[in-house]
Amino acid sequence: MAYTGAMPAIVVQNVTKTYSGGFEAVKGINFEVETGEFFGLLGPNGAGKSSLMRMLYNKSERSAGSIEVLGYDPAQNELEIKFLSGIVPQDDNLDVDLDVVTNLKVYARFYGLKAKAARARIDELLDFLELSEKKESKIRELSGGMRRRLIIARALLNDPKLLILDEPTTGLDPQVRHLIWDKLRLLKKQGLTLMLTTHYMEEAFQLCDRLAIIDHGVKVLEGKPIDLVKSHIEAYVLEIIQREASAALTYSGPVRRETIQDRVLFFSDSAAELETIASALHPGDFYLRQSNLEDVFLKTTGRSLHD
Amino acid sequence: MTETILPRVAVPSLTRRITSVWWRHVRVYSSSLVSNALPPFLEPLIFLAGIGLGLGRYIVSMDGLPYIQFLAVGLVLTSAMYTASFENTFGTFIRLEFDKVYDGMQAASLTARDLMWGELLFTATKGAFFAGAVLIILACFGLVTTPWMLMGVPLGFLTAGMFGTIAMLVTSFVTNINHFNFYFTLFISPLFFFSGVVFPLAQLPDSVRWVAGLMPLTHPVELMRAAAGGHTVFGVGWNLLYLVVFIPVVGTLAVNRMRRRLVS
Repeated sequence: MAYTGAMPAIVVQNVTKTYSGGFEAVKGINFEVETGEFFGLLGPNGAGKSSLMRMLYNKSERSAGSIEVLGYDPAQNELEIKFLSGIVPQDDNLDVDLDVVTNLKVYARFYGLKAKAARARIDELLDFLELSEKKESKIRELSGGMRRRLIIARALLNDPKLLILDEPTTGLDPQVRHLIWDKLRLLKKQGLTLMLTTHYMEEAFQLCDRLAIIDHGVKVLEGKPIDLVKSHIEAYVLEIIQREASAALTYSGPVRRETIQDRVLFFSDSAAELETIASALHPGDFYLRQSNLEDVFLKTTGRSLHD
Repeated sequence: MTETILPRVAVPSLTRRITSVWWRHVRVYSSSLVSNALPPFLEPLIFLAGIGLGLGRYIVSMDGLPYIQFLAVGLVLTSAMYTASFENTFGTFIRLEFDKVYDGMQAASLTARDLMWGELLFTATKGAFFAGAVLIILACFGLVTTPWMLMGVPLGFLTAGMFGTIAMLVTSFVTNINHFNFYFTLFISPLFFFSGVVFPLAQLPDSVRWVAGLMPLTHPVELMRAAAGGHTVFGVGWNLLYLVVFIPVVGTLAVNRMRRRLVS
């Protein structure tokens, strides 16, 4: 069926992935990404995020369920999907022996771009990602942030309708991260559909129209970031850094208490309630703040390590 | 609801995809021209100097030719065998496991099979280049006795193509890079000695000559001998048939097995 702009860009239905060793990475996941939307996939390490992303372009074959990307089934039309989508994989995998512009020229050929059109597009993209000065540089001379930007430029070569990013800002400094966020926002404005995985809640909150949290291969939450924070966690958190300091605290009313190693957290929809509790503490022993997406994430996926 | 049907997707043809992969390898190879393009000329130079100054004085003639002349014919193709074997064992393995080059390429509109066939095409091209380099050195020594020896270039292409497919098949099984040492010691090195390069196969006892007939290097070397006006044991037709069947069969097997490592 021909894809039309009015259809969802990505439809994932009851998708499972069992690897040959028997490991079930994805256990029946459903979600849709609307055309023009910025969608995020969050989850701890090993939750199945990358498996899901790879199944979208048949880098990994699904075990069951159905997937449609821009109207195509990746199992049948891998090439069409990749022709129409830009993919930013998790690892840096540029050709280290080639310079920046040659990396892009070689890659443009994979899409069948003509040399002249490719040159114009490359200049435009290097300019867009603020890499024009590095045109002749070897990959080894680039910082991690420059490499990431170059991989994003590479993914944009064929003027994609959909951009798939697997942890695009992992390991980057805040300056580069914000620059990349700004560029991604611009791309969305231009009508691109974007999908990303990330470990950074701030990133998901800032960028995504909608997101899904997955854990152990199943979807545990889905919605707009602001709505998830509103409906899945109390509005305020009182963090007490010294556990001993909280020993003598008395409290009543709608307050939830959580103890994590040496810290104690009080959650409540009433800031006044938490302020009352805090009044018995030394300043510097506590921290009262609004709850955020990270609180929701930790509440739904648990605080234990997933590695 | 506005429905705008997008234009038909102009995915590049199979040929263009494979040649685009080939082009990637050409660009990477030629990016360090000095270290990549000099050895194929130096190797036969050193070899011939050694044989000419040393061994050649003791072995005067072989199969009716001066020994250095006999050896030269086979040397055109052994370099293609070696370069192909390295390219698709260590080279392919490093691209797969360490440099993650394929991960990057698979994000473009290429299939895993496109990547592997393009790589084999490059290996074959490299073999033609290496055979050509040897021929140039041989010509300097006055060892190119007939223009027919230029057949070494297409034969180098086929030799490297063939050894590329074998190497890739081996790589599809290998999980530890050191295991390639077994392949070189137990398979490639013996081939150098028992494929009609250093002595004529006719000298082998009848009972073991058929074993040489099964081995891959034997056939391009026989064809090269025929081109240079020498003798063949198995006949030009059989040698050609071997190459024409071997390359696509082993190539398909290797590519399909590698695909399973590239698509999880």
